[in-house]
Amino acid sequence: MENTIKNITYDALVIGGGIAGGEAALNLAVTGFKVLLVEKDLSVGGKMIMLSKVFPTLDCSACITTPKISEISRHPNITIFTGTEVGNIRKVSDTEFVAKVTKKPRYVHVADCTSCQLCEQACPVSVSDEYQYGLVGRKAAFIPFSIASPKAAAIDIDNCTLCGACEKVCPTNCIDFTMVPETMNLHVRTVILATGFDLIDPKKMPRYGYGTFKNVLTAMQMERQLAPTRPFNTILRPGDGKMPDKLAYVLCAGSRDATVGNPICSQICCMYSIKQAQLLMGALPMADVTIYYINIRSFGKGFEEFYQQAKGMGVNFVKGKIGRITEKENGNLTLRYEDINTGKLMEADHDMVVLSTGVVPPKGIDGLFEGETLYMDQFNFVKQSDPLANPSKTSIDGVFVAGTATGPMDIPDSILSAGSASSEAISYLIQHV
Amino acid sequence: MEVEKGKTAKYLREKLGGIPEQAKERLKEFNQQKKKITEALKDGELTVKQLSEKLEMPSHEVMYNLSSLVKYGQVLVGDIDDMDEYFTYKLNK
Repeated sequence: MENTIKNITYDALVIGGGIAGGEAALNLAVTGFKVLLVEKDLSVGGKMIMLSKVFPTLDCSACITTPKISEISRHPNITIFTGTEVGNIRKVSDTEFVAKVTKKPRYVHVADCTSCQLCEQACPVSVSDEYQYGLVGRKAAFIPFSIASPKAAAIDIDNCTLCGACEKVCPTNCIDFTMVPETMNLHVRTVILATGFDLIDPKKMPRYGYGTFKNVLTAMQMERQLAPTRPFNTILRPGDGKMPDKLAYVLCAGSRDATVGNPICSQICCMYSIKQAQLLMGALPMADVTIYYINIRSFGKGFEEFYQQAKGMGVNFVKGKIGRITEKENGNLTLRYEDINTGKLMEADHDMVVLSTGVVPPKGIDGLFEGETLYMDQFNFVKQSDPLANPSKTSIDGVFVAGTATGPMDIPDSILSAGSASSEAISYLIQHV
Repeated sequence: MEVEKGKTAKYLREKLGGIPEQAKERLKEFNQQKKKITEALKDGELTVKQLSEKLEMPSHEVMYNLSSLVKYGQVLVGDIDDMDEYFTYKLNK
């Protein structure tokens, strides 16, 4: 593939277009600094834009995210590169970094796309939709999701059969298969890492049967089922389309578990599971929902009340550690667990199981910098060099960290952390003119 | 090289020397499953379980493909059964 090298200058480079990266970029931009926001995915908004509602207020997640994303996207001081990866970053002087970034071809000219979806309708291909966490298919010519930003089509070139059907129906001729990757050298004065988190692969814990038993889901899959832009018409079992009436949540699935290399608490699983349980009670009024937990960590503002509210609604809480899940012929699942209060081994049947999977750090962040060492903590999140006095400072002068790149935290804390990172970056920029 | 707008897929096909084998295989597989499901629904509304038995296809595969066809507008969701468990699916004629 051909490459073109461009040299571009900005005041700040923000890596990661989730809620933390977006907030940090916006704070810098409104102060008058020119910001480049780089996102590896096809849309900004991160994980938050994919959620149904947020805890403990049960506000619509998309309703909070989209105005913010719109503000970020329209701000004259912010340039957004989606589908773009940062290769490496070099500190060339006390006041300058050079970042090599590669923009992958989208095969669509975003500015010309009207998101009419005619290309989607014409495309004959169907592959697993990663934005619906594999519950349903999508086309090779597709708009990632209905509230994506930019809301423009993209071509999944790995699955495209190059039939040209999308091009034929496109009213603006915005589809362009001649696009090639673009490599750019970005000259920036400061860097904010807002690289977010990953969720642990539940297949690392074969005892839960994820992937083998089709009615064992992850909480993100349930999140999509609860969202207005859901994959099915209601909550259904992916195994056979049955509307479930006896659901179980398994907390600490891949967190507080040294056997899978993640001994720390993910901080959000208790509350997002309680949130989903409450939403399920609304969506499936006749259903029983049971949450199997080790400890409920309702530490934040309004969290304990939210937990008590779930109990009041009839969510069943069982202090038990799941040892194994097995599947019955009808797709129902048997959970074998230790009742922590009595020490007895128990069994319970459910027709759908949701794994509240733990938060893990994204890979490759420590290798981003050339000639400088970005220190990571013992769990491989970005190490804060002074967590109390300067919570956003890293081991590299001029590089700041925001949101869950430092460790698990919820949405309000991510936004606070982004505020801290942007304040420190602004202060650094003013001092290093 | 100047490539005519609206014919760039042909350009990339020629540049790559054809269509990637994996993409071809996936399309073939989807078309086969789509055909089986839509043929079976011609006789009337069916649930995932009924389709699975009729087509001798695993029920999770039926569910996945059927949901995709609903999303693409080729199949519609019908009514739920008397036990409030399974929806029926019908062709969008």
